[in-house]
Amino acid sequence: MGTEPGEQKNRYLRYLEVVTGSLEEKRRYRQCKERIERLPHDYRTAVEALQRYMQHFGPDQSESLVAMLADLTDLFEQSAADGIPLRQVVGEDPVEFAEAFLRNYPGGSWIRRERDRLTKTIDRVADGMQ
Amino acid sequence: MLKGTLEGIVLAILASRPAYGYEITAWLRDRGFTEIAEGTVYALLVRIEQRGLVDVEKVPSEKGPPRKVYSLNDEGRGYLEEFWKTWSFLSEQLEELREEGNGSGH
Repeated sequence: MGTEPGEQKNRYLRYLEVVTGSLEEKRRYRQCKERIERLPHDYRTAVEALQRYMQHFGPDQSESLVAMLADLTDLFEQSAADGIPLRQVVGEDPVEFAEAFLRNYPGGSWIRRERDRLTKTIDRVADGMQ
Repeated sequence: MLKGTLEGIVLAILASRPAYGYEITAWLRDRGFTEIAEGTVYALLVRIEQRGLVDVEKVPSEKGPPRKVYSLNDEGRGYLEEFWKTWSFLSEQLEELREEGNGSGH
């Protein structure tokens, strides 16, 4: 399965280029990537790990994807500038932080669509039976 | 435990004065909410900004990027009022339960 890492890596770009093809979004995405590269090593590793998690569970539309990445970059740049230890930024449970953060951005991976589907189906039948 | 109330706490802090993210987390830590992550407060600030409960001003800082300073707007004040109502209801109900529990022991 030699193609898998490449597929992972290209997922963001694929959305950006295929879904809307907005040049402005591509520019903002590249700016974020450059800002992330300038972060101290441990902060950068953390952002990249969060980004990876969000590729699977986060929004799948380029607009909210770029907005999310920009907000995430803001947080880590500011935290690095203020000297806030990484543990204090992401907390004891990074998944909890990542999920709280993800909920702010519309659209989503299949798993979020399935959660919405469950909620809607129950709403429909529960209301229908009343 | 804090999940539902953190939003109200942050809005209440902003009701007294504008603040940026780190100031809010520092305030919380000073008062014993030590387990709250900076990122969690930040995620909450992003959310209340999206919902139009706060006004945001970018203020330059000596070190690092400009800071986003948040202040409560009318929409946010209305929301905070609702939060206090819900909170009063909850705390009254809990107090009653506690009294009932204590009462049965006598």
